[in-house]
Amino acid sequence: MNLKLKVLFNFFADKKTTILLLSVVFFFVSAAPPDVFAQKKFSRSYPASKNVSLKLTNRSGTVTVEGWERDEVRISASMEAPAANMTPQNLSGTIYINLVKDNQGRKEVGYVNFRINVPYNSSVNIETMMGNLNVSNVRGALVRAHITSEGDITLTNISAGAVSAENVIGDIFFDGDIQSDGTYRFTSTRGSINIRIPFGSSFRLVATAPSTRRISLGPFSNQGLNFGDGRRVFGKVGGGSATLTVTNQRGSISFISR
Amino acid sequence: MNCEQYQELISAFLDNDLDESAFINVQSHLAVCAHCAKMCEDCAMILDLCSEDLLQDSLPPNSKALWCRINNIIENQVKAELAQPETAPNKTKQGWLSQVWNNSWRFSLSQVLTSILGIALISSLLTIIGFKNYSASADNVAVNASSSVFEKVLSKIGIAETTQEKRERYIKQQQATIDYWKKRVEVRRANWDNHLRDAFDRNLNEINQVVVEYDKILQENPQDEISNDMLDSAMTEKVELLREFSEL
Repeated sequence: MNLKLKVLFNFFADKKTTILLLSVVFFFVSAAPPDVFAQKKFSRSYPASKNVSLKLTNRSGTVTVEGWERDEVRISASMEAPAANMTPQNLSGTIYINLVKDNQGRKEVGYVNFRINVPYNSSVNIETMMGNLNVSNVRGALVRAHITSEGDITLTNISAGAVSAENVIGDIFFDGDIQSDGTYRFTSTRGSINIRIPFGSSFRLVATAPSTRRISLGPFSNQGLNFGDGRRVFGKVGGGSATLTVTNQRGSISFISR
Repeated sequence: MNCEQYQELISAFLDNDLDESAFINVQSHLAVCAHCAKMCEDCAMILDLCSEDLLQDSLPPNSKALWCRINNIIENQVKAELAQPETAPNKTKQGWLSQVWNNSWRFSLSQVLTSILGIALISSLLTIIGFKNYSASADNVAVNASSSVFEKVLSKIGIAETTQEKRERYIKQQQATIDYWKKRVEVRRANWDNHLRDAFDRNLNEINQVVVEYDKILQENPQDEISNDMLDSAMTEKVELLREFSEL
């Protein structure tokens, strides 16, 4: 018995540094306020008409917007600590969420990751200061994704008359239809822009990638477009009724057939 | 009868409208009364004058004299026309425009030659300016798109702002906007966390590199349309970045 106690004592004596450290960690973890590590959740649903508008302005975090067949808008957000203030508003058919305004002057605001479901025919206008923006399965009049600084933009299965995607550092991917008389604008400073559209699309193109001169037209390379000195490609593809403007200051532009 | 009663009968006396006894009676009074006699004389004079005027007015004009005068006038005119050269009658028939033409647009040979030379010189100058603008616009479509041919000509002459001057003014305006937002950002920056501050610096640096790159290209080739576009775009992005971060 004495021997067993002695062995135990020796064991603790050998590991005392480790035990001391663990105790300190345990103390601080238990003493810390609960919201430091907690992730706050937010969820709300709004009944909406089929062509509702969503106007979201985030500070930082990922925003994912997806079209669904229900006539309601569901907003789910997970907010990292320190949790952001959020007061969504539903004003005459448009749902507004502005986290920049709601948290103006606050020193620290944690990431807010949104997951939003909207009716298929909704207009989506989302902005963020930094973070990724994803929009899929939307067929409304407008799809706009704007990142003030850095983050990737992914627009999948989009069928809208006006599409705009803009960031400074990050990739842009568009996969959707080009509607006749539509306006499509993709702008980045550094990253790659990839556009996946049906082969039979008809549009007026101005694609500019002056630094890299990497403009790959893929299925549209034999459409008699004007390449100039390689920095800018312009011309008409098909009837040319839609306008497609792609600008990448220090990155590449690629077209892929859908 | 007193004088007043006799004076009332004077008019009838002069007109010989009185009966014999009254006529004699008035006549005998006028012979003795100087005052009434004077009045009778005055009335008689007035009557005489009136009868003279009536006579003159009722006289027909001297038709012979009148026809004589008319004939004289016509004869004088005919004589004057016959005396003028043969071209003169045309003058009266032609309108004022042709009269001006005949009088003012008669040039000497030297005047005609000078005019032709002047027209040739002006048209050649306009052609040269047109060609220069056209060749410049082939490389610089977007920059010159807003300015009309008239504006280009004015800017060539020096009356209006040139494209280059317009650009410089625009860049200055943009720079002023950037400076304003930069100050705002400097004030707000202290409130940002490290993560936000790093992201801002990284993105601003990226845009600044683009600005420097195209500024350099444009110093060598100010007419490069793509570089102008890219510089505009980068500066707009910079303003957006500064403005949006200053709202945090």
